[in-house]
Amino acid sequence: MAFYDRMMSIDRRIIFLSVGLAVAIPIIVPLGFPVQVSEETRSFYREMAALKPGDTILLSFDYEGDVMAELNPMAVAVLRHAFSRDIKVVAITTYAGGTGIAERLLTEAAARYGKTYGIDYVFLGYNPDWSGTMLRLGESFKATYPTDQYGKSTYEIPIMQNVETYRDIALVVSISGSALSEYWAIWAGGRYGAKVISGNTAIQAILIYPYYKAGQIPGFLGGLKGAAEYEKLIDEPGMGIRGMDAQSVAHALMLAFIIVGNVGYFFSRRAQARQSK
Amino acid sequence: MKRQGPIILAFTIGMLMLVQFFTPAAFFKQAYNIILDWKQVVLGFTFILGTWSLIRYHYTKISRRRENWQYSYVTLAGLAATVTAALVWKTATGPYPWLFNNVQVPMQSTMFSLLAFFVASASYRAFRARTFHATLLLIAGALVMLGRVPIGAYLSGSVFGVKISLVEISDWVLNVPNAAAKRGIMIGVGLGMTATAIKIVLGIEQTYLGKTD
Repeated sequence: MAFYDRMMSIDRRIIFLSVGLAVAIPIIVPLGFPVQVSEETRSFYREMAALKPGDTILLSFDYEGDVMAELNPMAVAVLRHAFSRDIKVVAITTYAGGTGIAERLLTEAAARYGKTYGIDYVFLGYNPDWSGTMLRLGESFKATYPTDQYGKSTYEIPIMQNVETYRDIALVVSISGSALSEYWAIWAGGRYGAKVISGNTAIQAILIYPYYKAGQIPGFLGGLKGAAEYEKLIDEPGMGIRGMDAQSVAHALMLAFIIVGNVGYFFSRRAQARQSK
Repeated sequence: MKRQGPIILAFTIGMLMLVQFFTPAAFFKQAYNIILDWKQVVLGFTFILGTWSLIRYHYTKISRRRENWQYSYVTLAGLAATVTAALVWKTATGPYPWLFNNVQVPMQSTMFSLLAFFVASASYRAFRARTFHATLLLIAGALVMLGRVPIGAYLSGSVFGVKISLVEISDWVLNVPNAAAKRGIMIGVGLGMTATAIKIVLGIEQTYLGKTD
């Protein structure tokens, strides 16, 4: 087999092993690549930083366990930023599997900043009708969620006394692994005038750019990189920054494989051209 | 009436939702809220239907000893265990969060993580500069891949006095061609959705009733 054929047919087990090592080693031995903050993340931070103590945000956990490696660092950073500045959080989830994630992250962040359930934050739980929820919240939060996740009437929960519609919400934050951030912008933002910012998986983030450029989503976090940038801005290093080294090395490795394959392809075409002459 | 009933219903609700958007009248606002409440109730029932369907499918699979029928026991046992844990101990404490954190989350994460390996292998095999368009895609993909991670900042520099920043190039690709293409697609999809909605409301489009021609 010619060398260029070998370059074009690397065993997939070698690729799998290389990717595994490229992800694992930088997590075990951090390389400390500097994180450069993008304008999208800076805008997201600006929106959060503009909130005043006592303001209320609606945090929607629009994801499940499959993308939590990418999105949990964002949700954790948003909660830490909010709680550290005495901003109240009304949390919901549009995914059944998001319930466990939201409960865990809210409890951990609240314990860290000494926040009280029902006063500083509340978890309204999961509603199967995400589109109806987004619209209905614009009419009445309490009618959409008559009880919280634990069955307590929202009419009796102190934090909910001042929350009737989106008008009482300073910012809607959608942390999403799907197109739901777009729908928050369309329905909560477009119809009810709520200000929506989002945190999205890297694959989903590329779809947010038109909304960002149009000002419909005035700031967003794109993938683990966005999480790392936001962690840097709020000075709370977490899993986002820790994961950046692994992602850097994995991307570089994938690119190296692509280059090797293309060099092999170039030489094989040249050899074929020579033979045909 | 079997066919006319749903068409009349779709027309009535469709027109109501359309009109309420443009009028502040209390009646329409109330109707809008009632429809949204009903939508939630209907969707809640789909969960009951889905659970029943899942149980029936796996029960039939086990009883008829279809291929891999043994795994159906795992599905039904998982369903029973999760529902029992949530009903008996509630969702905040006890076995339910344990099942979620130690079974569901690792399984979902594992399945999604496998993508990294398959994407690496597939991009190595498929990303070849065979044509002009493929080369363009390859270059754009490579620039974004590097520009979106911190290592991209290291690889930036100046060539013959011209400053080349992979991060800036990557940002330009995402903010200009990517946003423009996505916006075009969104406008097309939006117009298509509007046309389809009008056809459904007017009863021209009836595929949701099972009509194929």
